[in-house]
Amino acid sequence: MLLYRQFKMEWLLYSRDRVAMFWAFAFPMIMLLGFGVIFGTGSTPQLTLVVAGEVQTQAGRDLVGALERTPLKLLRLDPGAAAARWAKGETAAELDPAGPGWRLKVNTYLAAQGQLTAQIVQQAGLAAQLREDGREPGFLPVLTESPGHAHSANYAAFLLPGLLGMNLLSMGLFSVGMVNVSYREKGKFRRLAVTPLPKWIFLLGQVLHRLTLTLLQSALMLALGWFAFGISNQGSYLLLAAVMALGTACFMAMGFALAGFAQTAEGYGAISNVFFLPMMFLSGVYFTLDAAPHWLQRSVVALPLSPYLHTLRAIFNDGSGLSGQWGGLAVVAGWTAACFLLAVKKFKWA
Amino acid sequence: MSARALQVRGIRKAYPGVVAVAGLDLEVERGEVFGLLGPNGAGKTTTLEMIEGLTPADAGEIQVLGLDWRRHGAEIRSRIGVQLQSTSLFNKITPREALTLYGSYYPRRRSAEELLDLVQLRDKADAYHITLSGGQMQRLALALALVNEPELVFLDEPTTGLDPQARRGLWDVVRRMKGEGRTVILTTHYMDEAEALCDRLAIIDHGRLLTAGTPLGLIQQLAIPSVVELTFAGAAPDPAGFAARLELEVTGRADCWEIPTRDPKALLPRLLEAAEAAALAYEQIHVRRATLEDVFLHLTGRSLRD
Repeated sequence: MLLYRQFKMEWLLYSRDRVAMFWAFAFPMIMLLGFGVIFGTGSTPQLTLVVAGEVQTQAGRDLVGALERTPLKLLRLDPGAAAARWAKGETAAELDPAGPGWRLKVNTYLAAQGQLTAQIVQQAGLAAQLREDGREPGFLPVLTESPGHAHSANYAAFLLPGLLGMNLLSMGLFSVGMVNVSYREKGKFRRLAVTPLPKWIFLLGQVLHRLTLTLLQSALMLALGWFAFGISNQGSYLLLAAVMALGTACFMAMGFALAGFAQTAEGYGAISNVFFLPMMFLSGVYFTLDAAPHWLQRSVVALPLSPYLHTLRAIFNDGSGLSGQWGGLAVVAGWTAACFLLAVKKFKWA
Repeated sequence: MSARALQVRGIRKAYPGVVAVAGLDLEVERGEVFGLLGPNGAGKTTTLEMIEGLTPADAGEIQVLGLDWRRHGAEIRSRIGVQLQSTSLFNKITPREALTLYGSYYPRRRSAEELLDLVQLRDKADAYHITLSGGQMQRLALALALVNEPELVFLDEPTTGLDPQARRGLWDVVRRMKGEGRTVILTTHYMDEAEALCDRLAIIDHGRLLTAGTPLGLIQQLAIPSVVELTFAGAAPDPAGFAARLELEVTGRADCWEIPTRDPKALLPRLLEAAEAAALAYEQIHVRRATLEDVFLHLTGRSLRD
């Protein structure tokens, strides 16, 4: 009963802060729309190759001919313009005349794109050589297919569960943790310290408030995903809601636990970044870590965002049930319990 | 029903560079109004906060209602009421909501309506906390302290910043609390408040107990129960020469002289004669009873007001 009253009061006070409420709903939707529109056309970005000048030999022309049959976007410039573009750092890979043939220059700052382009160029080169011998290169058929059942190939579909997870993470760490440290700094909790209100009920009341808030936000994002991009949840909505509830509890508990270590809002900002930034970049929100070293991949799995997103994607993108997800959910649940205990222990009213 | 309302032995609190409370003993009986009187910076609030369980004491023992903070914290909290020196609540909570919310933390609670009437906040019952004036916030804080029908109430500087009418109003509330059988412990730096409200009081300065007793008792202890005051138009002259001639203790203030005496009847004629002879240009003369201010002055050489 006391918990219910705390929960109601949290909602009442929150609803009086119109600006915060507006952004809580608007921001994730803007993010989803933005990313979906920007990356909606396909998952691979188009690679550009600058061709600086001309090579008058047959081999040289053959290579360019072969390159035109690749998905590369060729940008033919005269050497002066090419050099200017290179100097500005805009070129990832450039084909320069070198004697009777060509030479490829790759920009170290854009190495990822550059190397990919280089590989395609090498392929084109091999194809041209084969054609010179009168043979046609035979390429293997490549089928791009996302694992699981029929669903949108839009990057936004991959992104949506990631954004949901990010939303929860940032709400837990920043909104809850920061707000609490800031309130404590301002002495707003002192009066509560002399009442018999137990700390755990106070914290749980906040958790429940944010839980219901996230469910609303997520419902809105799902609706938006459906109407704008045709993305739909492939799995059970109930399961999705349950997993998101666990995620909310986990990241809020983390926020509360971290709040116990900071005296000021600035201090909290610093501490929370130590946890937030690695998790955000490494946990598969924006991209997968397949190319990263093994030790990094393995250590990231120990942080809760990674298994949480994995499970969310499994349910949302692949329509999976709970089987096979227990390990990941256990990690998240474990973090939640540990952080909540730490939070109650370290929480000070003043 | 046998335990004292409060028993404190040897509490200390030091912060880097300053000792706020340096070994204090206090005893408060049930049903009395007890005051902690002292100037600003004496350590009153720190003492009170240690007793209320807000700040941990560096050393010493505290027993509230016969109970120990470490072992019976929750029980103590449900039986006491606290008005902090400044209460910071959430900006957009209303008095009615705050009283209901805080009431919900206790097994026994008074209705919000009753409390609003008691502190005269009815017309502001639904205003956001941030829109209340300082005096209104303080009245709300007082109401919050009473929400659980406490046996023991702590009031930290309850009338600081209040206008005279509001002060009188608060004094009435305190008297009513006493009438209801509650024990009240308050801190103040106003001598008239201590005299008007307190059954007993302790005078503290620089974190130490100077003396304790009933207001009347402390004044009588002074053994100089009267004060003759000479007021001057404009600035008072230096009394040193005059005092030496009459072999009297004269305290010079900005606009008056104060001469404590055991026997005003005997002093007056001597004083008037001497003043005449020295052509002292005083405007008024009056005799008053010594006050706690004089007690404090006698004990420390300083005034209660800074």
